Amino acid sequence: MEHSKQTQFGSSDKKDAGTSSVVNGHCDGMVKRPAGGPSQPPAAESGSQRPVMESWREDRTRSVEDNEMSLPSLAAAYTTILRGLGEDPQRQGLLKTPWRAATAMQFFTKGYQEKIIDVLNDAIFDEDHDEMVIVKDIDMFSMCEHHLVPIFGRVHIGYLPNKRVLGLSKLARIVEIYSRRLQVQERLTKQIAVAITEALQPTGVGVVIEATHMCMVMRGVQKMNSKTVTSTMLGVFREDPKTRDEFLTLIRS
Amino acid sequence: MEYQHDVEINGEDKYLNICKHNGLCKKEKDSKDDTDSNKLSHIEKAYTTILGELGEDVDREGLLRTPLRAAKAMQFFTKGYKETTQDILNDAIFDENHDEMVIVKDIDLFSLCEHHLVPFFGKVTIWAYLPNKKVVGLSKLARIVEIYSRRLQVQERLTKQIASAISEALEPAGVAVVIEAAHMCMVMRGVQKINASTVTSVMLGTFQDNPTTRKEFLDLTIRK
Repeated sequence: MEHSKQTQFGSSDKKDAGTSSVVNGHCDGMVKRPAGGPSQPPAAESGSQRPVMESWREDRTRSVEDNEMSLPSLAAAYTTILRGLGEDPQRQGLLKTPWRAATAMQFFTKGYQEKIIDVLNDAIFDEDHDEMVIVKDIDMFSMCEHHLVPIFGRVHIGYLPNKRVLGLSKLARIVEIYSRRLQVQERLTKQIAVAITEALQPTGVGVVIEATHMCMVMRGVQKMNSKTVTSTMLGVFREDPKTRDEFLTLIRS
Repeated sequence: MEYQHDVEINGEDKYLNICKHNGLCKKEKDSKDDTDSNKLSHIEKAYTTILGELGEDVDREGLLRTPLRAAKAMQFFTKGYKETTQDILNDAIFDENHDEMVIVKDIDLFSLCEHHLVPFFGKVTIWAYLPNKKVVGLSKLARIVEIYSRRLQVQERLTKQIASAISEALEPAGVAVVIEAAHMCMVMRGVQKINASTVTSVMLGTFQDNPTTRKEFLDLTIRK
C-alpha cells in the first residue's frame, strides 16, 4: 500500500552521515541563529557535527486524507489486538472499539499533521519588551514512543524577547504540535525550545516539563507518584545563572 | 483461535461464570499457554501496522522494539483475564472472633477503557461488614481489584464485579465499593475536560437495605 508519508523515510535518510535525521521533524541538530544574533550557538551539542534542522519548516508526514485512508487498516489492527488479548471483538461493548481506538490514536498523534509555520505565521509581533515572558502550567498530553501509553503533565515556558514577541496561545500550540506525537520527554522539551528560538530569535528560552509516565505507573516498576522533570535552557537562560534562577523561581510560585 | 463468549451480560452477578463474560475459563487458560507466544507476535505485528499507518517511521531507533514492548504492555494491562478470585483467595479467609467493619481505602486502580483502549485510573474504597466471624487477608481485597481492573472495562461493570466477587467469596452481611477515576478518553481527547472524574458505587446487603449504614458510608468515602 503506497502512502505519500512513507516516501519521506527512505533508507538513505538514516544512513547519510553528516546530514540531520529528518525523522518526523525530530530535531537532532543545533539551533540555527541569524547572522546578527549572539555568536555562540545556544544549543551546542558538545561537539556534534550534525547540521541544523529547521524544525519549523519540516514537512507534515500525514494529512487529513491519509487519516481517512488509514482508518480501515488501523481498525483491523486493533481487532487483531483484541483477539490476541483473549477478548471477543463481537461482544456489544467492543463492536466499534477498533474504530474508536483507531480514531483516538490518530488524535493522539495529530501533531504529525501540523506544521509550526502554519500555527505561528501571523502571531509574531514587534514589541519593545525585553523582560521575561513566562507561560506556565500548560497541560500536556503525549504518548510514550516505547510503549504507546500516555504521558501527561505540565509545560512551563519562559523566554526573553529580542524585540519580537509571540502570541501567548501560540506557545501552547507549539506544545500541542510536538506533544501530540510518539515522544520521548527529553526530545519533546528540546523541540519546543528550538521551535520558539527559531521563530523569534529571542535572547534566551527555557522550557521545563514535569510529567507522569503511565508506562512507569501502570506497569513495569509501578511507581504511582513518580514524576519526570526535564528542562532545556537556551541562550541567556543557559549562560546566565541569575536569569535561569528567576525563571525557575517564577514557575514554582 | 476461537473463544466462546456469551453476549455481554448486563449487570448479572456471575463472577463464578465470568469466563463467559469478560474473562477466560480455567480450561481455556490451561490449554492456551502454548499459543501465548503466537498471540504476542500477532499483537506485535498489529502494532507495527499501527505505527506505519500513523505516519511514523517504524525503522527509526526509538521505535524499533516498540511493537513488542507495546504488545507486552497491553498483555500486562489485560492480565486480569487469566486470574480468578478463587486462585487468590483460597487460603486467606480466617475464622476470627470479629464482626466489625473492614475498610480498605484508596486502593490505586488502573484499567483500560474498553471503548477507546485508553487508560482510566483512580482509587477504590471497599467496605465490608463481616459478621460471620470471618476475616480476609487485607491485601486480598486489593488483589480482587487487580483481577477485575486489569481488563478492558467499563467503570460501572468493574465496580459491580468487585462487589460481587467479595460478596460471593466472603459472604458478608454487606459490601460497598466506590471507585473514583479519571478517564483519559475524556481528558486527552473528545471533550478534553482535565479535572473531571467519574464516581461509581455499588452497595450490597446492609449497605443497600439500611439507610443509616449507607449514609455513614457515603459521608465518609465520597470526597467533595
